[in-house]
Amino acid sequence: MPSETLVLDHVFQALANPTRRDVLARLGRGPAPMTELAKPFQMALPSFLQHLQVLEKCGLVRSQKTGRVRVFELEPQPLQAAEDWMKTQRLLWETRLDQLDAFLLSQKEKQK
Amino acid sequence: MTNTIKHQPDPRLDLVLERVIDVPKELVWKAWTTPDQILQWFTPAPWKTVECEIDLRPGGAFKTVFQSPEGDKTDNEGCFLEIIENEKLVWTSVMAGGYRPLATPVVEGCDNLAFTAVITMEAAGDGTKYTALVIHGDPESKKKHEEMGFHDGWGAALDQLVELVKKQLVG
Repeated sequence: MPSETLVLDHVFQALANPTRRDVLARLGRGPAPMTELAKPFQMALPSFLQHLQVLEKCGLVRSQKTGRVRVFELEPQPLQAAEDWMKTQRLLWETRLDQLDAFLLSQKEKQK
Repeated sequence: MTNTIKHQPDPRLDLVLERVIDVPKELVWKAWTTPDQILQWFTPAPWKTVECEIDLRPGGAFKTVFQSPEGDKTDNEGCFLEIIENEKLVWTSVMAGGYRPLATPVVEGCDNLAFTAVITMEAAGDGTKYTALVIHGDPESKKKHEEMGFHDGWGAALDQLVELVKKQLVG
């Protein structure tokens, strides 16, 4: 299991390219075969395939071959990692302040 | 207070937590600035704060030692930046006492712990309204993006993708 930081590094790297972002946006609407994904782009198929490989390697998409057609699908988990980092920080601070409030109320009781 | 900075939180990177509690603000201030009291609440359970050193002045050290449930200890250096008694307390984890810059603390599994915290408190009726603003850098991505000459746009791109993914998960 790669560390969270490593996953994020790869995700951000994968997102740092307009073609790959377009592909992800397209896959956000549902799975699609490679030929359909390649259609809007003016590039040779091998170059396009490389972009797909980058996305697949970092886990943002996965593909499955059915007969002669390879169908790609979005895998939202790594994208979630970027969001999760903030959630972890929030949880830490919420817990900290819950404890502070409990402590303050106990201090107030003592003063009475 | 007139010369103090106005903070503009970045919702992508910063946390704003606001609480109203039925105790006078002097008690809230004490809880944040007295080592004995910090030990009693500062670290989310089951972790504990086992040591705390506070030199309450700008540039003064704010040091804590955390202990995990397994007994492993972690030193946390910090430095106070701004102190207005009973009103505002600012410290950062990116410097130690005396404003000495620290190597970016990266802990496996906890990611990057670089932050600046701004605690403000004001009277609200008989109680206190206090706010914790936690300012983060862009630990995972900023350097990478600058290396790639890719400053703007990624935030929006990521937001859109996350939105798309969420829609897909619902749909």
